[in-house]
Amino acid sequence: MSEDARLKFYCDEHRCISCDGCSVACAEAHELPANINRRKVVTMNEGILGLEYSLSIACMHCTDAPCEQVCPTDCFYIREDGIVLHDKEKCIGCAYCLYACPFGAPQFPTDGAFGIKGVMDKCTMCAGGPEETNSHEERELYGQNRIAEGKVPVCAAMCSTKALLVGDSEEISAIYRERVLSVGHGAKTQPYGWSTAYGSKV
Amino acid sequence: MKSKYIIVTLLVLSSLAFGYSESAVWSDNLIDNILGYDKQGSLHLGQYFTILQSTYFKPLFLGVLLGVPAVFLLHYLVIGPMIFSHDRKKIYVFTLFHRIIHSIAGISFILIIPTGLIMMFATTFGGGEFVRVCKEIHAISTLLFIVSIVPMFFMWLRWMFLHWDDIKWLMIVGGYLNKDKKPVPAGRFNAGQKTWYWLATLGGFVMIFTGGAMYFQDFRFDILNTYQISQIDFLRASAILHNVLGLAIVALFFVHIYMAVFAIKGAIHSMINGYKEEEEVEILHSSYYKELKEKGEV
Repeated sequence: MSEDARLKFYCDEHRCISCDGCSVACAEAHELPANINRRKVVTMNEGILGLEYSLSIACMHCTDAPCEQVCPTDCFYIREDGIVLHDKEKCIGCAYCLYACPFGAPQFPTDGAFGIKGVMDKCTMCAGGPEETNSHEERELYGQNRIAEGKVPVCAAMCSTKALLVGDSEEISAIYRERVLSVGHGAKTQPYGWSTAYGSKV
Repeated sequence: MKSKYIIVTLLVLSSLAFGYSESAVWSDNLIDNILGYDKQGSLHLGQYFTILQSTYFKPLFLGVLLGVPAVFLLHYLVIGPMIFSHDRKKIYVFTLFHRIIHSIAGISFILIIPTGLIMMFATTFGGGEFVRVCKEIHAISTLLFIVSIVPMFFMWLRWMFLHWDDIKWLMIVGGYLNKDKKPVPAGRFNAGQKTWYWLATLGGFVMIFTGGAMYFQDFRFDILNTYQISQIDFLRASAILHNVLGLAIVALFFVHIYMAVFAIKGAIHSMINGYKEEEEVEILHSSYYKELKEKGEV
């Protein structure tokens, strides 16, 4: 990984089979409460023949993150490698980040007896939070810190079709480019099978 | 009669909060919410909200916070307060009911406005637990405001419609630009008070509604589906409206305080004991004074 790497997610909608493995892995790895979906699989153009596709979305770790711009407590910070994180100790749960986010990524757990929304929770790209790395507090508040251990974020690691990619944006686009060059791009006309996976010449 | 309105308002708000359990933001509606950000034909509220909140709201509020008191300080030093004789008779203008309702509204404003400003400038206060508590106070004291807004709206409504006097009043800025004791054209309430009344009641209703929406966030509001407005777009519109109206309310709240406490000496007592000085009514509410004279009440 080069010095100026920017970590990004990319979901290849031609490979995503909508198995929800990523969101289950995420919820399981970070022990998220029941109503928190840091990652979610959505299906676009549902029921329209030839146009339907699924993709997995979470915080996209924007370069010019609008959540960071609107936060009244300035609790967001963008790491040098491009991961957008926030400080739950500072967050007041105003939900302005949700209004600014183009992906509906910020989540709000219900907190207390009156169903008041608590502080924001979102995908950390498995990079924890501002607390000491791999400390108990960090794990309680933000979940696992796999990045610090040199591991791939759990969603991408678990993705069975390798639709969900994560890493340096240039490498991700290189992988995607290679895929497009080898298997083509566009609405798929038939389900992927042996020929797509291993080529037509057996 | 009045309690009926209060109950209806509370019911509407509570049904917003507890009516449905399926998330309106993250469940099936997530795609609509995402596309609402910038799809062709969408309201583009996501971008507008981001620009307004990141660049304009804070400086505008800071401008009001510093600018309005600065103008008043200048006014106080250059022109000075109006001083009316406290020796003449007193005129009973606010009944006990008026005063109680006004006090409830006043207390709620004193709680809501500073806590709202603390949330606006949360970075300065370091965020965290303190600002979170302020946020809850901001929400809870709204209940006080809800209780007072309906009776306040109806108890003063009949004097609050536009009148010729109001235009004349606005032309001379209520006579506050000089110290001459010339009768100012105004009925029982002058144009400034009327503006504040409409902003505090109708504007206050919008504030309660938009604030409630942002507070409860995840509710189903069927009318939005009818107009195909996504939940987050509705919240964005609420946030924009809440801030813009809030700006006006904070500015006029400062005006209201300045007028009652500093600009007209002793004016605040009319809201405590119900009586205004005869001279004050004669000068500042000349049309009302004439009316009273015709009736032979003074």
